[in-house]
Amino acid sequence: MAGTRNTALWIVWLALTLAAGGSFGALIFVGGPRNFLLIGKTTGAHHQFELACETCHTSGFFEDAAKIDKAMNKACLACHEDELKVSNDSHPVKKFRDPRNADRRQQLDALFCTTCHMEHVPEITRPVAVTLPMDYCSACHKAVGEERPSHAGLAFNTCAAAGCHNFHDNTALYEDFLAKNVDMADIIERPIVRLAAISRAPHPVLAARENHDPVAALRAYLMDTRRDAPEFETDAVEMLARVLEAGDAVAPAEFLTRDTVAAWAGSGHALGGVNCAGCHTLEHAKERDTAILAANWIAEPGIEICRSCHKEEARTFVLGRHGMRLHPEISEPRQAPKNALLKIVAAVFRDEALWPISVADARLEMKPEAAHLEIGNCNTCHKPHDADIRAAAVDACAGCHNDPHTRTYFSSPHYQLWQTELAGGAPGSGVSCADCHMPKLEARGHFFTTHNQNAYLRPNEKMIRPVCMHCHGLAFAMDALADPALVENNFNGRPSRHVESIDWAVKRARKTE
Amino acid sequence: MKPVLRKILAGSALLATAGTVAAEGIAPKDVADMLHAVMDSDRTIYTKMVVQRLQNEHKVIKASEFFKDEKALPLPAQMFRFGAEMVADKTDLFSYSLLSLWPINKQNSPRTEMEKEGMQYVLDNPGENFYGEEELGGTTYFTAVYPDIAVAEACVACHNAHKDSPKTDFKLGDTVGSVVIRIPVE
Repeated sequence: MAGTRNTALWIVWLALTLAAGGSFGALIFVGGPRNFLLIGKTTGAHHQFELACETCHTSGFFEDAAKIDKAMNKACLACHEDELKVSNDSHPVKKFRDPRNADRRQQLDALFCTTCHMEHVPEITRPVAVTLPMDYCSACHKAVGEERPSHAGLAFNTCAAAGCHNFHDNTALYEDFLAKNVDMADIIERPIVRLAAISRAPHPVLAARENHDPVAALRAYLMDTRRDAPEFETDAVEMLARVLEAGDAVAPAEFLTRDTVAAWAGSGHALGGVNCAGCHTLEHAKERDTAILAANWIAEPGIEICRSCHKEEARTFVLGRHGMRLHPEISEPRQAPKNALLKIVAAVFRDEALWPISVADARLEMKPEAAHLEIGNCNTCHKPHDADIRAAAVDACAGCHNDPHTRTYFSSPHYQLWQTELAGGAPGSGVSCADCHMPKLEARGHFFTTHNQNAYLRPNEKMIRPVCMHCHGLAFAMDALADPALVENNFNGRPSRHVESIDWAVKRARKTE
Repeated sequence: MKPVLRKILAGSALLATAGTVAAEGIAPKDVADMLHAVMDSDRTIYTKMVVQRLQNEHKVIKASEFFKDEKALPLPAQMFRFGAEMVADKTDLFSYSLLSLWPINKQNSPRTEMEKEGMQYVLDNPGENFYGEEELGGTTYFTAVYPDIAVAEACVACHNAHKDSPKTDFKLGDTVGSVVIRIPVE
């Protein structure tokens, strides 16, 4: 009896072991939740796709270590390469390839992003996802005190922590730039953000139509705002011809509600000639047969439709924290096995596709009442039927974000200026959340609103040129951004510290003049 | 066999098969000299026909270290370095750098013993180059050092006026720095 019992137990043990081992193997090689494989908490941005492991871990299981490093670097650059270009990277990889730097590479192998930015190691992760000890600059710049007496005796960890230097982005911090801009006032005279002013001014077509010579008015506007030498006259005529009015709206009757049509008729979409079907169908933008439109109607158009016109906004949206789950480089769920038998066995081991990030998934302080909101569509923040596009610049942000910086914005000088602009002040004179975190950028003679809110966020000196210096002097902006308490209370007050590098730069420049 | 030589020999063998050339390969020194001839000529042309002509003679555009911010021409030395960096992106069959005993950027001082020896040699022996072998990071390199001469007034003016230049009395024709070419050999 005992023998039979033992045999049964052995069989059960074997079956359970095989089942557990099989499940474990299936989770690793086939599909299913892999949370247990996360060896440490991921950083603030990457946590959004931490279970889409193949996004970063692109190599095979038994690949050579050197190849794995190269492949992972490539994965980093798939999302971050543009930022390095924009930042005019001070330490591009190519600088480290020279054999004369072989000894330096032994101390700091800067050929790989992961040398400085490891993932899954929260215990050693510093601001800006740096995982090296803070003496990394000394690998190459140990002797800086001999070249620059001002730097002699400075603590090894102050290079990047004192607001003077960054490893990658020094576009606002290099010596000549500091010296050239030292005399700027804290706040420039009549601060207006030029591109925001253009964006928030009454729609140019609307304004032109009120003029006695609309073509001339619009042509003058185009000449003033565009820099890519278009055919101003032809463009002006075409733009005016495109305008749609309330009576032009074409949609199945149930969607043609008075409020919707009235809102649309004053919006940029109507003024730009985009009828209902332009967004609510995929391929029937010019269709007037409402039966065809009804058959192809998309009730809530997604980013793929907005992208067809707002290319740069959509491109940058998926690079930022709000849209990164939609980035094309995020790995797809692992494929089901092709073998029919394995397919049945593996049916329970399937990866879930990444859904758009919801407010509840955020690690930042958010409003509990917004927890259910998902950010996969442009209209989470935008109201495409409305003429007033400004709601997305403050209200949408504050509808979810609830950290001290957001909360104190509403008592800040920036918000006062925003209120004044909303009350009829000069366009571009107010400072919204988006003005600082999604600045308008020029590209090939046009401008767009970058929707990668991360591109100009950290280290915060990245904001100096594309954001702060539209209104503030360089020294004031550097000091303000180097004061964490002032940043947290949304610039209610003056900087309590001073970044000395600007004084040193001026001193050296004057000495040699 | 040296990687470059192996490739060059293979190429020569092909040509020999076609009956064009019969060669035993090209010595690293000749390869370095050939590369230097191209680098030196391109930069001299850029310096004289672009920077010197447009900045100093016609005064239509400036050349500046901060050429992006100032919407200016890159300096000839920058043009040369960008080329060296792009080459480093494309191949590890050779690399090159522009260095000086009086560098504006201290990172461009000689670092290896061979750089120090070679740069002093070309300074002390006008008209001559320096060749040797050195080991860096576990790889042996054939290293060639060439004098870098101030070929135009623009070179002299900039080096003498720059706030970080340790020497301010360069004259046209002076050796301002050195071009160092490295070819990995076994």
